[in-house]
Amino acid sequence: MIAFLALLRRDLLVSRRNAVPLLVATLTQPILVVLVFGNLLPRMNLVAPEFRTVMVPGLMAITMLMAGVQGVLLPLVQDLSGSREVDERLLAPITVRGVALERIVAGALHASTAGIIALPAMMLLMHQVGGVQAHPRWTVLLPLVAVCGLLSGAFGLTLGTHVQPRFAGLLFAVVLGPMMLFGCAYYPWASLGAIGPLRYLFVVNPLVFISEAMRLGVTPDVPHMALPALLAGLAGYLALFTLAGTRSFERRTIL
Amino acid sequence: MSILVVEGLRKTYPGGRRTPPVEALRGISFAVERGEFFGLLGPNGAGKSTTIGCISTLVRPSAGRILVDGVDVARAPQEAKRRLAVVPQTRNLDRDLTVREILTFHGRYFGLPAAEREARTDRLLAELQVAEKAHVKPLELSGGQQQRVMIARALMHDPTVVLLDEPTTGLDPQARRRLWETLGALHTRGMTFILTTHYMEEADRLCERVAVVDHGRILTLDSPAALKKALPGAQVLDLWVRAPRPLAPRLTALRGVLKVDPMRLEGEGDGLERLRLFVDPADGLLDRVLHAIRDEGADLHHVNLAQPSLEDVYIHLTGKELRE
Repeated sequence: MIAFLALLRRDLLVSRRNAVPLLVATLTQPILVVLVFGNLLPRMNLVAPEFRTVMVPGLMAITMLMAGVQGVLLPLVQDLSGSREVDERLLAPITVRGVALERIVAGALHASTAGIIALPAMMLLMHQVGGVQAHPRWTVLLPLVAVCGLLSGAFGLTLGTHVQPRFAGLLFAVVLGPMMLFGCAYYPWASLGAIGPLRYLFVVNPLVFISEAMRLGVTPDVPHMALPALLAGLAGYLALFTLAGTRSFERRTIL
Repeated sequence: MSILVVEGLRKTYPGGRRTPPVEALRGISFAVERGEFFGLLGPNGAGKSTTIGCISTLVRPSAGRILVDGVDVARAPQEAKRRLAVVPQTRNLDRDLTVREILTFHGRYFGLPAAEREARTDRLLAELQVAEKAHVKPLELSGGQQQRVMIARALMHDPTVVLLDEPTTGLDPQARRRLWETLGALHTRGMTFILTTHYMEEADRLCERVAVVDHGRILTLDSPAALKKALPGAQVLDLWVRAPRPLAPRLTALRGVLKVDPMRLEGEGDGLERLRLFVDPADGLLDRVLHAIRDEGADLHHVNLAQPSLEDVYIHLTGKELRE
Protein backbone atom coordinates (compact mmCIF):
# COMPACT_ATOMS: atom_id res chain seq x y z
CA MET A 1 0.00 0.00 0.00
CA ILE A 2 2.91 2.34 0.76
CA ALA A 3 4.37 1.74 -2.68
CA PHE A 4 0.94 2.19 -4.28
CA LEU A 5 0.46 5.59 -2.66
CA ALA A 6 4.02 6.63 -3.48
CA LEU A 7 3.49 5.76 -7.15
CA LEU A 8 0.24 7.71 -7.15
CA ARG A 9 1.97 10.64 -5.55
CA ARG A 10 4.61 10.59 -8.25
CA ASP A 11 1.97 10.51 -10.99
CA LEU A 12 0.06 13.39 -9.43
CA LEU A 13 3.22 15.46 -9.15
CA VAL A 14 3.96 14.92 -12.84
CA SER A 15 0.34 15.64 -13.83
CA ARG A 16 0.35 18.82 -11.77
CA ARG A 17 3.49 19.95 -13.56
CA ASN A 18 1.91 19.24 -16.92
CA ALA A 19 -1.49 20.59 -15.89
CA VAL A 20 -1.71 23.24 -18.59
CA PRO A 21 -1.01 21.04 -21.62
CA LEU A 22 -3.17 18.27 -20.13
CA LEU A 23 -6.12 20.59 -19.63
CA VAL A 24 -5.72 22.10 -23.06
CA ALA A 25 -5.66 18.62 -24.58
CA THR A 26 -8.83 17.47 -22.85
CA LEU A 27 -10.89 20.65 -22.66
CA THR A 28 -10.35 22.19 -26.09
CA GLN A 29 -12.72 19.84 -27.88
CA PRO A 30 -15.73 20.10 -25.54
CA ILE A 31 -15.33 23.85 -25.23
CA LEU A 32 -15.32 24.34 -28.98
CA VAL A 33 -18.29 22.03 -29.41
CA VAL A 34 -20.18 24.00 -26.78
CA LEU A 35 -19.22 27.25 -28.43
CA VAL A 36 -20.65 26.13 -31.77
CA PHE A 37 -23.60 23.93 -30.78
CA GLY A 38 -24.42 25.58 -27.48
CA ASN A 39 -23.90 29.20 -28.33
CA LEU A 40 -23.59 29.98 -32.04
CA LEU A 41 -26.16 27.63 -33.57
CA PRO A 42 -28.92 28.32 -31.00
CA ARG A 43 -28.51 32.04 -31.62
CA MET A 44 -29.01 31.37 -35.31
CA ASN A 45 -32.04 29.26 -34.38
CA LEU A 46 -30.47 26.28 -36.10
CA VAL A 47 -30.51 24.07 -33.04
CA ALA A 48 -33.37 23.38 -30.66
CA PRO A 49 -32.69 24.82 -27.20
CA GLU A 50 -33.33 21.39 -25.59
CA PHE A 51 -30.29 20.04 -27.40
CA ARG A 52 -28.04 22.11 -25.20
CA THR A 53 -29.47 20.62 -22.05
CA VAL A 54 -28.89 17.16 -23.49
CA MET A 55 -25.40 18.03 -24.62
CA VAL A 56 -23.95 19.28 -21.33
CA PRO A 57 -23.78 15.96 -19.48
CA GLY A 58 -22.86 14.15 -22.71
CA LEU A 59 -19.86 16.37 -23.33
CA MET A 60 -18.86 16.01 -19.72
CA ALA A 61 -18.92 12.23 -20.20
CA ILE A 62 -16.81 12.46 -23.36
CA THR A 63 -14.33 14.75 -21.62
CA MET A 64 -13.97 12.29 -18.77
CA LEU A 65 -13.54 9.29 -21.01
CA MET A 66 -10.89 11.02 -23.08
CA ALA A 67 -9.04 12.37 -20.04
CA GLY A 68 -9.07 8.94 -18.38
CA VAL A 69 -7.88 7.14 -21.48
CA GLN A 70 -5.15 9.70 -22.15
CA GLY A 71 -4.12 9.74 -18.50
CA VAL A 72 -3.39 6.04 -18.72
CA LEU A 73 -2.47 5.58 -22.35
CA LEU A 74 0.25 8.20 -22.71
CA PRO A 75 2.34 7.12 -19.69
CA LEU A 76 1.75 3.51 -20.69
CA VAL A 77 3.21 4.06 -24.14
CA GLN A 78 6.30 5.49 -22.47
CA ASP A 79 6.36 2.61 -19.97
CA LEU A 80 6.20 -0.12 -22.55
CA SER A 81 8.53 1.54 -25.03
CA GLY A 82 12.15 0.55 -25.43
CA SER A 83 13.34 2.38 -22.34
CA ARG A 84 11.19 0.23 -20.02
CA GLU A 85 10.60 2.91 -17.41
CA VAL A 86 7.95 0.60 -16.04
CA ASP A 87 10.65 -1.64 -14.58
CA GLU A 88 11.31 0.91 -11.86
CA ARG A 89 7.67 0.49 -10.80
CA LEU A 90 7.71 -3.27 -11.13
CA LEU A 91 10.81 -3.49 -8.93
CA ALA A 92 9.09 -1.60 -6.11
CA PRO A 93 7.71 -3.78 -3.33
CA ILE A 94 4.22 -4.04 -4.86
CA THR A 95 2.46 -6.69 -6.96
CA VAL A 96 2.28 -6.30 -10.72
CA ARG A 97 -1.52 -5.99 -10.37
CA GLY A 98 -0.91 -3.24 -7.85
CA VAL A 99 1.16 -1.30 -10.39
CA ALA A 100 -1.65 -1.72 -12.95
CA LEU A 101 -4.36 -0.64 -10.48
CA GLU A 102 -2.36 2.45 -9.62
CA ARG A 103 -2.44 3.39 -13.30
CA ILE A 104 -6.23 3.06 -13.31
CA VAL A 105 -6.58 5.23 -10.22
CA ALA A 106 -4.26 7.87 -11.69
CA GLY A 107 -6.36 7.84 -14.87
CA ALA A 108 -9.52 8.15 -12.78
CA LEU A 109 -8.14 11.25 -11.08
CA HIS A 110 -7.40 12.77 -14.48
CA ALA A 111 -10.90 11.95 -15.69
CA SER A 112 -12.69 13.25 -12.60
CA THR A 113 -10.71 16.47 -12.54
CA ALA A 114 -11.38 17.08 -16.23
CA GLY A 115 -15.12 16.38 -15.79
CA ILE A 116 -15.47 18.66 -12.81
CA ILE A 117 -13.67 21.50 -14.59
CA ALA A 118 -15.52 20.96 -17.85
CA LEU A 119 -18.99 21.30 -16.32
CA PRO A 120 -18.77 24.92 -15.07
CA ALA A 121 -16.71 25.90 -18.11
CA MET A 122 -19.47 24.73 -20.42
CA MET A 123 -22.18 26.35 -18.33
CA LEU A 124 -20.30 29.61 -18.45
CA LEU A 125 -20.04 29.51 -22.23
CA MET A 126 -23.72 28.80 -22.67
CA HIS A 127 -25.14 31.12 -20.09
CA GLN A 128 -25.52 33.97 -22.61
CA VAL A 129 -28.30 32.00 -24.23
CA GLY A 130 -30.80 30.99 -21.61
CA GLY A 131 -32.77 27.80 -21.29
CA VAL A 132 -30.21 25.19 -20.23
CA GLN A 133 -31.85 23.02 -17.61
CA ALA A 134 -28.78 21.92 -15.68
CA HIS A 135 -29.27 21.52 -11.95
CA PRO A 136 -26.35 19.39 -10.75
CA ARG A 137 -27.19 17.20 -7.77
CA TRP A 138 -23.69 17.14 -6.33
CA THR A 139 -24.26 14.39 -3.77
CA VAL A 140 -25.28 12.05 -6.58
CA LEU A 141 -22.96 13.50 -9.19
CA LEU A 142 -19.66 13.29 -7.31
CA PRO A 143 -19.78 9.54 -6.54
CA LEU A 144 -20.88 8.92 -10.12
CA VAL A 145 -17.97 11.03 -11.40
CA ALA A 146 -15.60 8.89 -9.31
CA VAL A 147 -17.01 5.60 -10.66
CA CYS A 148 -17.04 6.87 -14.25
CA GLY A 149 -13.46 8.10 -13.79
CA LEU A 150 -12.35 4.65 -12.69
CA LEU A 151 -14.16 3.11 -15.63
CA SER A 152 -12.40 5.51 -18.01
CA GLY A 153 -9.01 4.68 -16.49
CA ALA A 154 -9.65 0.94 -16.64
CA PHE A 155 -10.80 1.27 -20.24
CA GLY A 156 -7.60 3.19 -21.03
CA LEU A 157 -5.47 0.46 -19.47
CA THR A 158 -7.29 -2.21 -21.47
CA LEU A 159 -6.85 -0.29 -24.71
CA GLY A 160 -3.24 0.65 -24.00
CA THR A 161 -2.09 -2.85 -23.14
CA HIS A 162 -3.90 -4.53 -26.03
CA VAL A 163 -2.57 -2.25 -28.71
CA GLN A 164 0.99 -1.78 -29.91
CA PRO A 165 2.20 1.67 -28.81
CA ARG A 166 2.76 2.75 -32.39
CA PHE A 167 -0.94 2.26 -33.15
CA ALA A 168 -2.03 4.47 -30.25
CA GLY A 169 -2.96 7.25 -32.66
CA LEU A 170 -5.23 4.91 -34.59
CA LEU A 171 -7.21 4.20 -31.43
CA PHE A 172 -8.62 7.68 -31.39
CA ALA A 173 -9.88 7.39 -34.94
CA VAL A 174 -11.13 3.82 -34.91
CA VAL A 175 -12.29 3.22 -31.34
CA LEU A 176 -12.81 6.48 -29.49
CA GLY A 177 -14.33 8.44 -32.38
CA PRO A 178 -17.22 6.01 -33.00
CA MET A 179 -17.67 5.57 -29.25
CA MET A 180 -18.32 9.28 -28.88
CA LEU A 181 -20.88 9.36 -31.66
CA PHE A 182 -22.75 6.28 -30.46
CA GLY A 183 -22.29 6.90 -26.73
CA CYS A 184 -25.56 8.68 -25.92
CA ALA A 185 -23.59 11.86 -25.46
CA TYR A 186 -25.60 13.94 -27.93
CA TYR A 187 -28.97 12.26 -27.29
CA PRO A 188 -30.41 10.59 -24.24
CA TRP A 189 -30.85 6.85 -23.99
CA ALA A 190 -34.58 7.37 -23.50
CA SER A 191 -34.93 8.97 -26.96
CA LEU A 192 -33.24 5.99 -28.59
CA GLY A 193 -36.62 4.32 -28.28
CA ALA A 194 -37.11 5.91 -31.70
CA ILE A 195 -35.04 3.15 -33.32
CA GLY A 196 -36.80 0.31 -31.50
CA PRO A 197 -34.92 -2.71 -30.16
CA LEU A 198 -31.85 -1.67 -32.15
CA ARG A 199 -31.07 0.66 -29.27
CA TYR A 200 -29.89 -2.29 -27.19
CA LEU A 201 -26.91 -2.56 -29.55
CA PHE A 202 -25.70 0.67 -28.01
CA VAL A 203 -24.98 -0.94 -24.64
CA VAL A 204 -21.78 -2.49 -26.02
CA ASN A 205 -20.47 1.06 -25.71
CA PRO A 206 -19.41 1.83 -22.12
CA LEU A 207 -19.70 5.55 -22.83
CA VAL A 208 -23.51 5.11 -22.91
CA PHE A 209 -23.45 4.45 -19.17
CA ILE A 210 -21.08 7.30 -18.42
CA SER A 211 -23.26 9.72 -20.40
CA GLU A 212 -26.42 8.53 -18.70
CA ALA A 213 -24.77 8.71 -15.29
CA MET A 214 -23.79 12.34 -15.91
CA ARG A 215 -27.30 13.03 -17.19
CA LEU A 216 -28.68 11.67 -13.95
CA GLY A 217 -26.33 13.84 -11.91
CA VAL A 218 -26.33 17.07 -13.94
CA THR A 219 -29.74 17.30 -15.61
CA PRO A 220 -32.04 15.16 -13.47
CA ASP A 221 -35.09 16.59 -15.27
CA VAL A 222 -34.12 15.07 -18.60
CA PRO A 223 -35.25 11.42 -18.92
CA HIS A 224 -32.37 9.05 -18.19
CA MET A 225 -31.61 5.41 -17.74
CA ALA A 226 -32.99 3.87 -14.55
CA LEU A 227 -30.50 3.88 -11.71
CA PRO A 228 -30.27 0.08 -11.26
CA ALA A 229 -29.56 -0.49 -14.97
CA LEU A 230 -27.10 2.37 -14.90
CA LEU A 231 -25.21 1.06 -11.89
CA ALA A 232 -25.19 -2.47 -13.26
CA GLY A 233 -23.71 -1.24 -16.53
CA LEU A 234 -21.05 0.88 -14.82
CA ALA A 235 -20.10 -1.86 -12.35
CA GLY A 236 -20.05 -4.52 -15.05
CA TYR A 237 -17.81 -2.56 -17.38
CA LEU A 238 -15.58 -1.42 -14.52
CA ALA A 239 -15.04 -5.03 -13.42
CA LEU A 240 -14.51 -6.23 -16.97
CA PHE A 241 -11.96 -3.60 -17.94
CA THR A 242 -10.14 -3.72 -14.61
CA LEU A 243 -9.70 -7.46 -14.99
CA ALA A 244 -8.81 -7.36 -18.68
CA GLY A 245 -6.50 -4.37 -18.26
CA THR A 246 -4.54 -5.63 -15.28
CA ARG A 247 -4.19 -9.07 -16.84
CA SER A 248 -2.88 -7.80 -20.08
CA PHE A 249 -0.62 -5.31 -18.28
CA GLU A 250 0.93 -8.27 -16.49
CA ARG A 251 1.34 -10.14 -19.75
CA ARG A 252 2.99 -7.16 -21.39
CA THR A 253 5.43 -6.36 -18.57
CA ILE A 254 6.51 -9.68 -17.05
CA LEU A 255 8.19 -11.86 -19.65
CA MET B 1 24.57 -19.38 3.88
CA SER B 2 24.88 -17.97 0.36
CA ILE B 3 23.20 -14.63 -0.17
CA LEU B 4 21.96 -15.68 -3.60
CA VAL B 5 21.22 -19.22 -4.75
CA VAL B 6 20.18 -20.02 -8.31
CA GLU B 7 19.24 -23.64 -8.92
CA GLY B 8 18.47 -25.29 -12.24
CA LEU B 9 17.16 -22.10 -13.80
CA ARG B 10 15.48 -22.57 -17.16
CA LYS B 11 13.63 -20.13 -19.34
CA THR B 12 12.00 -20.69 -22.70
CA TYR B 13 10.38 -17.66 -24.29
CA PRO B 14 7.26 -18.78 -26.14
CA GLY B 15 7.45 -18.23 -29.86
CA GLY B 16 5.08 -16.14 -31.90
CA ARG B 17 3.17 -16.97 -35.05
CA ARG B 18 6.31 -16.77 -37.16
CA THR B 19 9.04 -17.11 -34.55
CA PRO B 20 10.06 -20.36 -32.88
CA PRO B 21 10.33 -20.53 -29.07
CA VAL B 22 13.69 -19.45 -27.70
CA GLU B 23 15.43 -21.48 -25.05
CA ALA B 24 17.31 -18.68 -23.29
CA LEU B 25 18.38 -20.58 -20.18
CA ARG B 26 19.05 -24.31 -20.13
CA GLY B 27 19.76 -25.05 -16.50
CA ILE B 28 21.81 -22.35 -14.78
CA SER B 29 22.99 -22.94 -11.20
CA PHE B 30 25.30 -20.88 -9.04
CA ALA B 31 25.58 -19.42 -5.57
CA VAL B 32 26.96 -16.05 -4.53
CA GLU B 33 28.39 -15.34 -1.08
CA ARG B 34 27.73 -12.24 0.97
CA GLY B 35 30.06 -9.42 -0.02
CA GLU B 36 31.17 -11.13 -3.21
CA PHE B 37 31.61 -9.48 -6.60
CA PHE B 38 30.27 -12.12 -8.97
CA GLY B 39 30.33 -11.94 -12.75
CA LEU B 40 28.30 -13.48 -15.55
CA LEU B 41 30.46 -13.24 -18.64
CA GLY B 42 29.31 -14.09 -22.11
CA PRO B 43 28.34 -12.77 -25.54
CA ASN B 44 25.04 -11.03 -26.30
CA GLY B 45 22.23 -13.56 -26.27
CA ALA B 46 24.01 -15.92 -23.90
CA GLY B 47 21.27 -15.60 -21.29
CA LYS B 48 22.88 -13.12 -18.90
CA SER B 49 20.07 -10.58 -18.91
CA THR B 50 17.42 -13.29 -18.70
CA THR B 51 19.17 -14.59 -15.58
CA ILE B 52 19.14 -11.10 -14.07
CA GLY B 53 15.48 -10.76 -15.09
CA CYS B 54 14.55 -14.01 -13.34
CA ILE B 55 16.38 -13.01 -10.16
CA SER B 56 14.67 -9.61 -10.13
CA THR B 57 11.12 -11.02 -10.75
CA LEU B 58 10.75 -9.32 -14.13
CA VAL B 59 11.08 -12.58 -16.02
CA ARG B 60 9.09 -15.65 -15.01
CA PRO B 61 11.37 -18.71 -15.03
CA SER B 62 10.15 -21.89 -16.75
CA ALA B 63 11.85 -24.01 -14.10
CA GLY B 64 14.28 -23.69 -11.24
CA ARG B 65 14.47 -21.90 -7.94
CA ILE B 66 16.05 -18.63 -6.81
CA LEU B 67 16.70 -17.67 -3.19
CA VAL B 68 17.74 -14.16 -2.25
CA ASP B 69 18.94 -14.04 1.34
CA GLY B 70 16.85 -17.15 1.95
CA VAL B 71 13.70 -15.70 0.34
CA ASP B 72 12.18 -17.63 -2.55
CA VAL B 73 11.74 -15.11 -5.38
CA ALA B 74 8.77 -16.95 -6.91
CA ARG B 75 6.91 -17.40 -3.63
CA ALA B 76 7.58 -14.05 -1.97
CA PRO B 77 8.44 -11.60 -4.77
CA GLN B 78 7.73 -8.53 -2.62
CA GLU B 79 10.12 -9.69 0.09
CA ALA B 80 12.73 -10.54 -2.52
CA LYS B 81 12.39 -7.15 -4.21
CA ARG B 82 13.09 -5.37 -0.93
CA ARG B 83 16.45 -7.13 -0.78
CA LEU B 84 17.34 -6.59 -4.43
CA ALA B 85 18.35 -3.67 -6.56
CA VAL B 86 18.77 -3.65 -10.31
CA VAL B 87 20.83 -1.38 -12.51
CA PRO B 88 19.25 -2.29 -15.85
CA GLN B 89 20.90 -2.45 -19.20
CA THR B 90 18.63 0.18 -20.76
CA ARG B 91 18.68 3.57 -19.16
CA ASN B 92 15.23 3.80 -17.69
CA LEU B 93 15.38 6.86 -15.45
CA ASP B 94 12.02 8.54 -14.91
CA ARG B 95 12.26 11.35 -17.42
CA ASP B 96 9.53 13.43 -15.82
CA LEU B 97 11.41 13.83 -12.55
CA THR B 98 14.66 15.54 -11.59
CA VAL B 99 17.63 13.46 -10.48
CA ARG B 100 16.95 14.26 -6.86
CA GLU B 101 13.28 13.36 -7.17
CA ILE B 102 14.16 10.09 -8.87
CA LEU B 103 16.09 9.13 -5.76
CA THR B 104 13.59 10.40 -3.20
CA PHE B 105 10.66 8.75 -4.99
CA HIS B 106 12.55 5.48 -5.13
CA GLY B 107 12.92 5.86 -1.37
CA ARG B 108 9.17 6.50 -1.06
CA TYR B 109 8.33 3.38 -3.07
CA PHE B 110 10.28 1.41 -0.49
CA GLY B 111 8.67 3.24 2.43
CA LEU B 112 11.73 5.10 3.72
CA PRO B 113 10.86 7.75 6.31
CA ALA B 114 11.35 11.32 5.11
CA ALA B 115 14.43 12.19 7.14
CA GLU B 116 16.27 9.06 6.09
CA ARG B 117 15.19 9.50 2.49
CA GLU B 118 16.59 13.01 2.27
CA ALA B 119 19.82 12.16 4.08
CA ARG B 120 20.45 9.12 1.93
CA THR B 121 19.69 11.05 -1.26
CA ASP B 122 22.26 13.68 -0.34
CA ARG B 123 24.85 11.09 0.56
CA LEU B 124 24.39 9.03 -2.62
CA LEU B 125 24.30 12.04 -4.92
CA ALA B 126 27.66 13.11 -3.46
CA GLU B 127 29.10 9.61 -3.44
CA LEU B 128 28.26 8.97 -7.09
CA GLN B 129 29.42 12.44 -8.06
CA VAL B 130 26.13 13.66 -9.47
CA ALA B 131 25.29 16.18 -6.74
CA GLU B 132 25.64 19.13 -9.09
CA LYS B 133 23.04 17.52 -11.39
CA ALA B 134 20.45 17.08 -8.62
CA HIS B 135 17.91 19.41 -10.18
CA VAL B 136 18.35 18.36 -13.77
CA LYS B 137 16.16 15.88 -15.66
CA PRO B 138 17.79 12.66 -16.87
CA LEU B 139 17.61 13.44 -20.59
CA GLU B 140 20.06 16.28 -20.00
CA LEU B 141 22.68 13.95 -18.53
CA SER B 142 25.51 12.16 -20.30
CA GLY B 143 25.45 8.37 -20.52
CA GLY B 144 27.98 8.02 -17.72
CA GLN B 145 26.02 10.38 -15.47
CA GLN B 146 22.77 8.51 -16.14
CA GLN B 147 24.53 5.30 -15.19
CA ARG B 148 25.70 6.86 -11.93
CA VAL B 149 22.21 8.07 -11.14
CA MET B 150 20.85 4.56 -11.81
CA ILE B 151 23.39 3.14 -9.37
CA ALA B 152 22.50 5.79 -6.78
CA ARG B 153 18.82 4.98 -7.28
CA ALA B 154 19.52 1.27 -6.83
CA LEU B 155 21.31 1.89 -3.55
CA MET B 156 18.54 4.07 -2.08
CA HIS B 157 16.69 1.24 -0.34
CA ASP B 158 19.87 -0.32 1.04
CA PRO B 159 19.64 -3.59 -0.91
CA THR B 160 21.40 -6.79 0.09
CA VAL B 161 22.26 -7.74 -3.48
CA VAL B 162 22.85 -5.36 -6.38
CA LEU B 163 22.37 -6.67 -9.92
CA LEU B 164 24.31 -4.76 -12.57
CA ASP B 165 23.26 -5.61 -16.11
CA GLU B 166 25.96 -4.53 -18.56
CA PRO B 167 26.59 -1.32 -16.61
CA THR B 168 29.31 0.09 -18.83
CA THR B 169 27.90 -0.72 -22.27
CA GLY B 170 27.85 2.38 -24.41
CA LEU B 171 30.15 4.38 -22.15
CA ASP B 172 33.37 5.94 -23.38
CA PRO B 173 36.57 4.42 -21.94
CA GLN B 174 37.05 7.22 -19.44
CA ALA B 175 33.52 7.02 -18.06
CA ARG B 176 33.88 3.23 -17.91
CA ARG B 177 37.05 3.46 -15.86
CA ARG B 178 35.43 5.93 -13.49
CA LEU B 179 32.48 3.63 -13.02
CA TRP B 180 34.80 0.71 -12.30
CA GLU B 181 36.48 2.75 -9.59
CA THR B 182 33.13 3.63 -8.05
CA LEU B 183 31.94 0.01 -8.10
CA GLY B 184 35.25 -1.15 -6.65
CA ALA B 185 34.94 1.35 -3.82
CA LEU B 186 31.37 0.28 -3.03
CA HIS B 187 32.45 -3.33 -3.04
CA THR B 188 35.23 -2.80 -0.52
CA ARG B 189 32.50 -1.64 1.86
CA GLY B 190 30.95 -5.11 1.75
CA MET B 191 28.20 -4.76 -0.85
CA THR B 192 27.31 -7.86 -2.88
CA PHE B 193 27.33 -7.32 -6.64
CA ILE B 194 26.31 -9.50 -9.53
CA LEU B 195 27.53 -8.11 -12.80
CA THR B 196 26.83 -9.20 -16.34
CA THR B 197 29.23 -8.12 -19.03
CA HIS B 198 30.70 -9.03 -22.34
CA TYR B 199 33.85 -7.05 -21.57
CA MET B 200 36.62 -9.41 -20.49
CA GLU B 201 38.62 -6.64 -18.93
CA GLU B 202 35.66 -5.59 -16.83
CA ALA B 203 35.08 -9.07 -15.46
CA ASP B 204 38.79 -9.56 -14.87
CA ARG B 205 39.14 -6.31 -13.03
CA LEU B 206 36.02 -6.30 -10.87
CA CYS B 207 34.88 -9.86 -10.27
CA GLU B 208 36.14 -12.24 -7.63
CA ARG B 209 34.45 -15.13 -9.39
CA VAL B 210 33.21 -15.37 -12.93
CA ALA B 211 30.72 -17.73 -14.57
CA VAL B 212 31.32 -17.98 -18.30
CA VAL B 213 27.89 -18.27 -19.96
CA ASP B 214 27.08 -19.33 -23.49
CA HIS B 215 23.81 -20.54 -25.04
CA GLY B 216 22.02 -20.53 -21.71
CA ARG B 217 24.52 -22.66 -19.87
CA ILE B 218 27.42 -22.01 -17.53
CA LEU B 219 30.55 -23.36 -19.16
CA THR B 220 32.84 -22.79 -16.22
CA LEU B 221 32.88 -20.92 -12.94
CA ASP B 222 35.91 -19.83 -10.92
CA SER B 223 38.08 -16.85 -10.05
CA PRO B 224 39.58 -15.09 -13.08
CA ALA B 225 43.06 -16.17 -11.98
CA ALA B 226 42.06 -19.82 -11.61
CA LEU B 227 40.26 -19.77 -14.97
CA LYS B 228 43.36 -18.48 -16.69
CA LYS B 229 45.55 -20.92 -14.83
CA ALA B 230 43.40 -23.79 -16.01
CA LEU B 231 44.31 -23.04 -19.61
CA PRO B 232 46.96 -25.34 -21.07
CA GLY B 233 50.39 -23.73 -21.03
CA ALA B 234 51.57 -20.50 -19.55
CA GLN B 235 51.21 -18.29 -22.62
CA VAL B 236 49.12 -17.85 -25.72
CA LEU B 237 50.73 -17.53 -29.12
CA ASP B 238 48.52 -16.20 -31.89
CA LEU B 239 49.54 -16.68 -35.51
CA TRP B 240 47.88 -15.13 -38.55
CA VAL B 241 48.91 -17.28 -41.50
CA ARG B 242 47.98 -18.10 -45.06
CA ALA B 243 48.72 -21.78 -45.59
CA PRO B 244 48.19 -24.18 -48.52
CA ARG B 245 47.18 -26.99 -46.13
CA PRO B 246 46.18 -27.21 -42.46
CA LEU B 247 49.07 -26.36 -40.15
CA ALA B 248 47.54 -27.57 -36.90
CA PRO B 249 48.77 -31.21 -36.97
CA ARG B 250 52.36 -30.18 -37.59
CA LEU B 251 52.31 -27.43 -34.93
CA THR B 252 50.65 -29.65 -32.31
CA ALA B 253 53.54 -32.07 -32.61
CA LEU B 254 56.12 -29.44 -31.65
CA ARG B 255 57.72 -29.52 -28.20
CA GLY B 256 56.29 -26.77 -25.97
CA VAL B 257 53.02 -26.53 -27.93
CA LEU B 258 50.18 -27.93 -25.84
CA LYS B 259 47.17 -27.21 -27.97
CA VAL B 260 46.32 -25.58 -31.29
CA ASP B 261 42.92 -23.97 -31.85
CA PRO B 262 42.11 -22.82 -35.37
CA MET B 263 40.00 -19.67 -35.03
CA ARG B 264 37.22 -18.44 -37.19
CA LEU B 265 38.09 -15.11 -38.77
CA GLU B 266 35.02 -13.17 -39.74
CA GLY B 267 34.89 -11.21 -42.94
CA GLU B 268 38.32 -12.20 -44.18
CA GLY B 269 37.82 -14.73 -46.88
CA ASP B 270 41.22 -14.26 -48.48
CA GLY B 271 42.66 -17.46 -47.03
CA LEU B 272 44.11 -15.80 -43.96
CA GLU B 273 43.56 -17.91 -40.85
CA ARG B 274 44.28 -17.39 -37.21
CA LEU B 275 45.78 -20.14 -35.11
CA ARG B 276 45.84 -19.97 -31.37
CA LEU B 277 48.64 -21.95 -29.74
CA PHE B 278 48.67 -22.63 -26.01
CA VAL B 279 52.38 -22.89 -25.27
CA ASP B 280 54.95 -23.38 -22.55
CA PRO B 281 57.66 -21.02 -23.65
CA ALA B 282 60.58 -23.44 -23.69
CA ASP B 283 63.93 -22.61 -25.32
CA GLY B 284 63.71 -22.08 -29.04
CA LEU B 285 59.95 -22.45 -29.22
CA LEU B 286 59.39 -19.49 -31.53
CA ASP B 287 62.18 -20.73 -33.75
CA ARG B 288 60.60 -24.16 -34.06
CA VAL B 289 57.20 -22.70 -34.82
CA LEU B 290 58.51 -20.36 -37.49
CA HIS B 291 60.54 -23.15 -39.02
CA ALA B 292 57.53 -25.44 -39.19
CA ILE B 293 55.45 -22.74 -40.86
CA ARG B 294 58.09 -22.06 -43.50
CA ASP B 295 58.50 -25.78 -44.00
CA GLU B 296 54.81 -26.17 -44.81
CA GLY B 297 55.06 -23.43 -47.40
CA ALA B 298 52.84 -21.08 -45.41
CA ASP B 299 52.92 -17.30 -45.20
CA LEU B 300 53.17 -15.76 -41.74
CA HIS B 301 51.50 -12.37 -41.48
CA HIS B 302 51.38 -11.51 -37.84
CA VAL B 303 52.43 -12.94 -34.46
CA ASN B 304 51.28 -12.17 -30.97
CA LEU B 305 52.61 -13.74 -27.77
CA ALA B 306 50.75 -12.86 -24.58
CA GLN B 307 49.73 -13.83 -21.07
CA PRO B 308 46.36 -15.54 -21.23
CA SER B 309 43.34 -13.32 -20.53
CA LEU B 310 39.73 -14.18 -19.76
CA GLU B 311 39.08 -13.81 -23.46
CA ASP B 312 41.42 -16.74 -24.05
CA VAL B 313 39.45 -18.72 -21.52
CA TYR B 314 36.29 -17.96 -23.43
CA ILE B 315 37.86 -18.81 -26.77
CA HIS B 316 39.27 -22.01 -25.35
CA LEU B 317 35.83 -23.02 -24.08
CA THR B 318 33.75 -22.07 -27.09
CA GLY B 319 36.14 -21.91 -30.02
CA LYS B 320 34.87 -18.46 -30.90
CA GLU B 321 35.75 -14.91 -30.10
CA LEU B 322 33.72 -12.77 -27.79
CA ARG B 323 32.91 -9.70 -29.78
CA GLU B 324 30.75 -6.73 -29.10
